[in-house]
Amino acid sequence: MNSLPLVVWSILIAASIGWYAFLVVHIGRKAGGEIRELIKTLSQRPPSDPPTS
Amino acid sequence: MTLSPVDWIIIVVYLVGCLVAGLWMRRYVRGVQEFAVAGRHMDVNLGIASLAATELGLVTIMYAAQLGYEKGFAGATIGVVIWGAMWLVGRTGFVIVPMRNAGVMTIPELFEKRFGTRVRWLAGFFVAVGGLLNMGIFLRLGGEFLVHATGLPPGYLEWVMTALLGLVLLYTMLGGMLSVLVTDYLQFLVMGVGIVAVSVVVLWHTGWGNLVGGLDAAWQAGQLKAHPYNPLHASNFGWGYLLWQAAFQIACATTWQTQISRVLAARDAATAQRMYRRTSFYFVGRFLLPALWGAAAFVWFANQGGLPEGVTSLTAMPQYLSLILPIGLIGIVVAGMLAAEMSTDSGYMLTWGTVIYNDLVRPCLRRPLTAKAELLLTRLLVLAIALFLLVYGLWYELPGNAWDYLAVTGNIYLASVFTLLVAGLYWPRATPTGAAAALVLGAVGPILFLVIGKSHAIAPEVAGASSFGLAAAGMIVGSLLTRRPPTPAATTACA
Repeated sequence: MNSLPLVVWSILIAASIGWYAFLVVHIGRKAGGEIRELIKTLSQRPPSDPPTS
Repeated sequence: MTLSPVDWIIIVVYLVGCLVAGLWMRRYVRGVQEFAVAGRHMDVNLGIASLAATELGLVTIMYAAQLGYEKGFAGATIGVVIWGAMWLVGRTGFVIVPMRNAGVMTIPELFEKRFGTRVRWLAGFFVAVGGLLNMGIFLRLGGEFLVHATGLPPGYLEWVMTALLGLVLLYTMLGGMLSVLVTDYLQFLVMGVGIVAVSVVVLWHTGWGNLVGGLDAAWQAGQLKAHPYNPLHASNFGWGYLLWQAAFQIACATTWQTQISRVLAARDAATAQRMYRRTSFYFVGRFLLPALWGAAAFVWFANQGGLPEGVTSLTAMPQYLSLILPIGLIGIVVAGMLAAEMSTDSGYMLTWGTVIYNDLVRPCLRRPLTAKAELLLTRLLVLAIALFLLVYGLWYELPGNAWDYLAVTGNIYLASVFTLLVAGLYWPRATPTGAAAALVLGAVGPILFLVIGKSHAIAPEVAGASSFGLAAAGMIVGSLLTRRPPTPAATTACA
């Protein structure tokens, strides 16, 4: 049953595995840097800043 | 299956790492803004990690695998629909841009500006009820996976899941969204490695030719009730179901509070749009890769003469994985699946706790609380949600398959809140009466499905689609029959 839907699913499965593997590496690197920036921003708030609500 | 010492070390290191990272972020929480939306400092890649980790839970893997077991690869069509919906919303900024620019913490808070406090409270009520019922089965399904994948004695299920929830609760209660973002990041990485590893092992073990041949043979022999590749075939989802899903997923992308909380935590609207576009394809794999595991489980058990006693379409996938995963890899996979469970639980508990505080409790207060008291109350609400999860997760029996339950409970508020958002942002004639009518009528169909769904067969697409129709009718008729007040009602919702 070599139908068009099967070809589409085959491509999507391969692309999904590839995309997940890529994101683990890419997001792992980029988001790690963003966490460091986030902590830096939060640490640099002056202690006199009122609590937010 | 027995976990080796190496597997245990991997799992323990992962759990301790999450706990330490989560607790570390507690020191940066000064008020509800940091607790609920991370002070709106989130950038795009961290947003992608957090959104993907929260929306891909162990419960997701279980129901997507069940769809794969019952409907083959076509069971993953919903993931393709979500891809389209997320990309479209991210590309156009439909709803999410005005919502992020409004500077609110929750969706119902936005309604107060347009429809008044009473509508905000009513919307908060339905959002909280729908959200809590939706996540009510997370623990049970997560536990089912662990029992079948690791060979854990079923009697330990409640204790293991309680301990896991306790750990997640600890860092979520103390660090709020800041802890959730950092632990989501770790969980995204561990989960990603686990999902890729399992997919490769499943394909290697089954073989692509055997998998496709097995599905073909099962379909031709009538063992498989739905066409394994064509979602539009009469035996599979069909047009009606997929059209409901298209509407449902656009509503979900614009109103599902756990997704929207990432939009609201983003640095700006453009960051939120980028986050949506870049995460959209992730949702294909979110359905398709577990569906691949489920389809492989189907072929495996079909070749063995059928499912063993006590194993169902829901638990076939973890049972199958327990047979094929080599010792050494199972530790990574279990850690990955625990990551999926934990990231979802933490994100959902925080989101619904914030909605209950912000939209149900806060409008009823005669005097505003101090920042410290607000934070304490929100933390206690997160604790109360965890207790609810434990109790509800143990006694509720699913009326249908897991995906339909999740879609229908989500629909309790999705259809009506989506109607309110679209009408509130783009239809000047909308009134508070129309909004209230939409909220109540939109919840009727899904609640009927949950209450009498076991005794009277109601198709999930009928229950779901009716809520969109009724919510729209309520908004249009209610608005046309009443006049819009000159300014939003400034009354206290609980007065």
